[in-house]
Amino acid sequence: MSAERIYRLLLRIYPADFRSEYGREMTLLFRDEYRTRDTNAIAFWVSMVWDAAHSAISMWVDVWLARGKEYTRTLEIIMKLAGTLAVLVGVFGAVNALAEAVAAMRGTLGSAHIVAVALGGAAGVLLITAGTALLRGTPSARYTATIALVASLAIILIARLTHPWMSSLSQLIGIGMPLALLVALHWPRGHDHSTSAA
Amino acid sequence: MAKKQRTAGTPESQLPLAPATFQILLALADGERHGYAIMKEVASRTKGAVRVGPGTLYGALKRLLEGGLVEEGSERADAELGDDRRRYYRLTKFGLRVARLEARRLDAMVRAARQKKLIGTAPA
Repeated sequence: MSAERIYRLLLRIYPADFRSEYGREMTLLFRDEYRTRDTNAIAFWVSMVWDAAHSAISMWVDVWLARGKEYTRTLEIIMKLAGTLAVLVGVFGAVNALAEAVAAMRGTLGSAHIVAVALGGAAGVLLITAGTALLRGTPSARYTATIALVASLAIILIARLTHPWMSSLSQLIGIGMPLALLVALHWPRGHDHSTSAA
Repeated sequence: MAKKQRTAGTPESQLPLAPATFQILLALADGERHGYAIMKEVASRTKGAVRVGPGTLYGALKRLLEGGLVEEGSERADAELGDDRRRYYRLTKFGLRVARLEARRLDAMVRAARQKKLIGTAPA
């Protein structure tokens, strides 16, 4: 097997993108270096393997850092969409509670139902708060979103206890949504590179 | 055809440079060179003390291209090395500013070392 062929095999330790961009140039450089080398073959190969090993590690670190940035960017987009959805659901919940409150004023609802409506309205407002905070996306806003989501979840659970005939859809949205957002908000995402220099 | 690269921050934000990176910028200060010519220039200027392997060289060139310090020139054969077409690289204006700043930074350090009598008063 020729030295150049062995070197081409050695290039496989580099990330594919780097190899396709610079592999040919590196092989040419290796060929020139091998032809004009002033050391014995073993010393030459040791220097080549050492060079490939430490530069490949450095290239892979760059690839992983870039992937981390991409992952963080994707998560940020997902959180913006989730924030928008939370605001919409919150507005719907608050408007629905208002409509039921109007009905209560006409005397068609019992006191337990009125408490549940008030709690539902409060949960809607908290979802709007959480959604708005998620759209802002700053660390302090994340903290606000967490508190609003936990409070919204607690209120819906209390409403469920005071109003046992709450619809399955309301329970699914009222309990499932804050839970899902809390999980998404606190899902481990590693080191945030979005603020580091290019 | 030369590829235009964006610059990353201010020249000052690039400092300090890794030794191999500065050696590559120094090699390109005279004009455009291909990879093997850069490698040879570094080895001969440092009298063999610094040897930049293919992986280190192209890894550094990739970062320098991404940072806008270096740009690709034409791709052509080097008559002394055969018919294979080689990619040539050259410093950008931004890269030249970074290299000058790094040289000044190192010069200031050497002056300080001389004042502290760590090295002789006259340049070696």
